[in-house]
Amino acid sequence: MVRSDADMKRRDFLKATGAGGTVGITALAGCSGGGGGGDGSSGDGSSGDDGSSGDGSSGDDGSGDDGSDSGGGSNLPTYTYTNNAQSYNPPRHDAINLIASQFGDELGLDIEVDVLEWGTLFSRVSQEYDYSFATWHTFFVSEPVTELNNLFNSNNVDPGQGNYSGYQNEDLDELMTSYLAEPDADTRIDQCHEIQQTLMDDVPTMPITQMPQAAIYNSNQTSNWEPTLASGFNSYWTMVNLEMEGGETVLKGYWPETLSTMNVLGHNDESKHVYQFNMLYDKLLQLNPDGEMDPEVSLATDWNRVDETTMEYTIRSDHSWHDGEDVTAQDVAFTYNYINDNEVPLYSTQAQYLESAEAVDETTVRINMSQPLGPFNLSVANIIPIIPEHKWADRSNPAQANIEEPVGSGPMEYDYWEQGSEFGLVRNDDHFAPVSFERRFWRVIPEASTVWENLISGDLNYEPFGRIDRQLDQNQDNENIGTQFGTAPTFWHFTSNTRQEGLDDPQLRKALVETIPRTPIVDQILFGFPEPGFNVVSPAFGPLHTEDITTYEESVDAARSRLEEAGYSWNDDGMIQAPSE
Amino acid sequence: MGKASFVVRRTLQLVVTLWAVGTVLFGLFRLMPGDPTSYVISSQMTQEARQRLIESYGLNDPLYVQYFRFLENLVQLNFGQSFHSNQPVTDIIATYMPNTLVLMLSAFVVAYILGITLGVLSGWYRGSRFERSTVITALTARSVPTFYVGLIVLWIFGAELGVIPMSGMTSLGTGGQNTGFLDMVFSVDFLKHLIAPASVLAFYYMGYPLLIMRSSMLEVLSEDFIDVCRAKGLKERTIMFKHAARNALLPIVTAAAIALGYAVGGSVLIETVFAWPGIGREMVRAVLRRDFPVAQGTFIVLASTIIFLNFAADLAYGYLDPRVTYD
Repeated sequence: MVRSDADMKRRDFLKATGAGGTVGITALAGCSGGGGGGDGSSGDGSSGDDGSSGDGSSGDDGSGDDGSDSGGGSNLPTYTYTNNAQSYNPPRHDAINLIASQFGDELGLDIEVDVLEWGTLFSRVSQEYDYSFATWHTFFVSEPVTELNNLFNSNNVDPGQGNYSGYQNEDLDELMTSYLAEPDADTRIDQCHEIQQTLMDDVPTMPITQMPQAAIYNSNQTSNWEPTLASGFNSYWTMVNLEMEGGETVLKGYWPETLSTMNVLGHNDESKHVYQFNMLYDKLLQLNPDGEMDPEVSLATDWNRVDETTMEYTIRSDHSWHDGEDVTAQDVAFTYNYINDNEVPLYSTQAQYLESAEAVDETTVRINMSQPLGPFNLSVANIIPIIPEHKWADRSNPAQANIEEPVGSGPMEYDYWEQGSEFGLVRNDDHFAPVSFERRFWRVIPEASTVWENLISGDLNYEPFGRIDRQLDQNQDNENIGTQFGTAPTFWHFTSNTRQEGLDDPQLRKALVETIPRTPIVDQILFGFPEPGFNVVSPAFGPLHTEDITTYEESVDAARSRLEEAGYSWNDDGMIQAPSE
Repeated sequence: MGKASFVVRRTLQLVVTLWAVGTVLFGLFRLMPGDPTSYVISSQMTQEARQRLIESYGLNDPLYVQYFRFLENLVQLNFGQSFHSNQPVTDIIATYMPNTLVLMLSAFVVAYILGITLGVLSGWYRGSRFERSTVITALTARSVPTFYVGLIVLWIFGAELGVIPMSGMTSLGTGGQNTGFLDMVFSVDFLKHLIAPASVLAFYYMGYPLLIMRSSMLEVLSEDFIDVCRAKGLKERTIMFKHAARNALLPIVTAAAIALGYAVGGSVLIETVFAWPGIGREMVRAVLRRDFPVAQGTFIVLASTIIFLNFAADLAYGYLDPRVTYD
C-alpha cells in the first residue's frame, strides 16, 4: 500500500493527476492554451466550500489491519487545496491534483481540490486566508528577506497583510527585522542563513520545484547570454552584454499576450512589462551576474552610506533623457520623492523605507530613509526606475496616467507600440552601456507552435518568456536553437494555512512535505527542467543561500513513520486520526 | 400602423433593451468571483496601497452608486478607463475593433456570397450528387472547430509549404512602418496575412447561409408561381436566380443581420490561432482579468450592434417583400 513517491511510474502518475491532468498533458503536446473549458479533475468533486470540519466517517477504533493502530484520536478536518483552472496553467493544475491525490491516498487525509479562477484563488488565499493548502509560482526578486518578512512576519497575519500562512515565530521576526536593518553584508549573510534554517525547520511553506531561468534563442543570430538574479536572461545586464551573430542587427522576441501599458509606475509588475521598462529606464544601480552592484553599467558611479538611514549617490554628469534633456541629480531626487509622495502602489514596499531625497549638487543625490534598511541598494536603488521630472511633475495620479510615448534614459528608446500586435524599441546610441543590436521588437504570438516555427526559421531570435513546456523539450536539440539554464530565485511553493486545525503542527506539515512527489512533478510534468525544491532561499541568491538546512526526503514511508511517532494513527477506512490529547 | 410609428415603437424598445443589457452586464460582472485588483497588483504591494487602488477604481462605493455612475456614463457613451492599461475604453475599442471588422467582414462577404450561391444551386438540384456534397461540406464546416481548421491550415500552408505567414496582420518586425490603418489594410503584406484567417472563417460561416438558402429554396420551388414561370417559357437560370432565389432570400436577411452583429465581437479562437489583434481576444482578456470597464464596454458595443442590425433587418423586410407590413 505504501510506496515511495520517487518510484512513481508514469501510469500511476497519469492516474493520479486524473482526467484533468491527462487533458493538461495532452494540451501541452499540441496547442497549449486554447482549450478553456472544464477543470474536470478527478480530485475536486465537491463544489468547494472551504474545509468544513467533517467528522464524517466516525472513525471508530478498529483493529487496524494495515498495521497502524487507531489510538482513539479524532478525525482531522477536511482540507481544501486551492487549484488554478487547467486552462490557466496546465502543469501546475496537474501537479496540485497529483499532490492532493497523494495526500488522500497515501496519508489518508480528507482533502478537496477547489478549482478557482486566478483572481478568486489569489484573493481567497492571500486576502481572506480561506484555504488549507496553496501553490503558485513565487517571484522573489533580488532580495529574499524583504519578501520573506512580508510572508512570515507575525505582524502581518491580519487579512490581506501578507502572512497568509499564518505562521508566527517571534525569533524569526527578530531575525528578519535585524537583517533588514543590518548595513553589513557579511552579517546579513549569516542572518539570512539562520532565517532559512528556521523556515525549513518549521516548513510553513515548501518549494516544490526550484524553477530554472532559461535562455532560449536562435544560435545563428545571438550569443553571450548572461543572466542576473532578478530578471534572469531578460535582465539589463543580459541585454547590454548580448552579442549578435551572422550580421543580424535586430533582437526579435515574442510574448503570448499584449502589453497593458506604457506607464512605468502603473503596471502590475508582470515580467512582460518589467523586461521592457528595464531597457527604457535607468536605475541608480544595476546588478551583475555575481549579484553585485556594477557602477560600470549603472547611472550611479559611486555611493556611500552616510549613516544608518542615509545613502548618497554620485550619478553620471554626461547622460541625457531620450528627448535630449540632461539627466540630473534633481531628476533622481524627484523620482524618489514623487513615488513616495504619490504613494505609487507598485513601489509601496520600497516607499515604506523612504523619507525624502534631495539633490546635494548637480551629480550628487542624498536619500533619507524612514527606517534603517541594510540592503537598500538591492531592495530599493536597484528597483526604482528614474523618471524625468520635466515629463512627470504635472501628473497628479502617476499610477493611473495614460502614457503614450514613454521617455526614459535607458539603453533603448521607445519606437512604436501597435497594441495587441507589436512593440518596438531602438538603440539609444548615447547610453553609457550600449546594446549591440539596433532594434528590439516583441510580437504578440499566443500560439506556442507558431513561436517555435519562427524561432527555428530565424524570424524570431529569442524567447523572452523561457517557457518550460513540451515544445522546448522537443526542439532544444535543433541545430538552430541554443539554450542555457540557470537556477532562478523563484519556485512553486506549497503553503499550509497554519491557522487550520492540524496544520499548526509542524510534524504534520513535515509529513505532508515528505509526501509531495517533487521528483515525478519535475520529471513528468515539467520535462525535467527544474530541480526538486528544497529551500526557500534559492541557490541563485549566491552567498545568501545555504545548504545547511533541514531537508526532507520524498517518501510516504518516512511521512507515515513521522506521523506515527507524533501520535497520529489511521482508522479502519485508512483515514488519518489526530493524536489523542 | 405606419412605418414611422413602427420605427418609433422599435426605437423605444431598443432603448429599453439596451438598458436591460447594460444592467445585466453590470450585475454579471459584479457577481463574478474574483477581485479585480488581484490582477493589477504586484505581490509586493502593501495592503494600504491595494486599498487605495480599490478606492481609485470606485469599487469601494456602494453598488447602487456604482450602478448609477455606470448608467450615467453609458448615456454619455463614456465606458470609463481600463483598470490595466489606464486607457479610455473607447480608445481600446477603436484600436482593436477595426482589425476585427476587416477580418470578419472579409470572411462574412465571401461566406455569404458562396453560401447563398451554393444554397440556391443545391436547392435547385435537389437529390443530385452536387446537393449531397454541398450539404456534407456545409455540415462539416459548421461542425469542425475553427481553431482546429486554423491550426491545420497553418501547419500545411504556413509551416510545411511556407506560402502563408504564420501570425499577425503584418510581417514580423514591420510594426511602426505603416502611417495609418488604411495604409496598412491596402498593403500587399496585410492581404497576405488576411487570406488564411479570413478563409478559415469564411469556410465556417458559409455553412449557415448555405443550409438556410437550400431549405428556403426547396420551399419556394414547390410554390405555384415557379410552375407559372416555367409555363411562360422562362430560362431555367432566370427562374432559379431571379424568381426562386429572390423569394427564398428573406430568412437569410435575419440570419445575416445576426451573424454580422456577432462578427463585431470577433472570433477569439481564430484571433488566437492566427495572432490577430482583434476585439474578441481583448474582450476575453478583460473578462478573465476582471477589467470591468473594458469588458462592459466591449460587450455593450457587441450587444448594441446586434440589436441595431436586427432592427435594420426588420426594416429591410418591408423592402424585400412588399407583403410584409408594419402592423
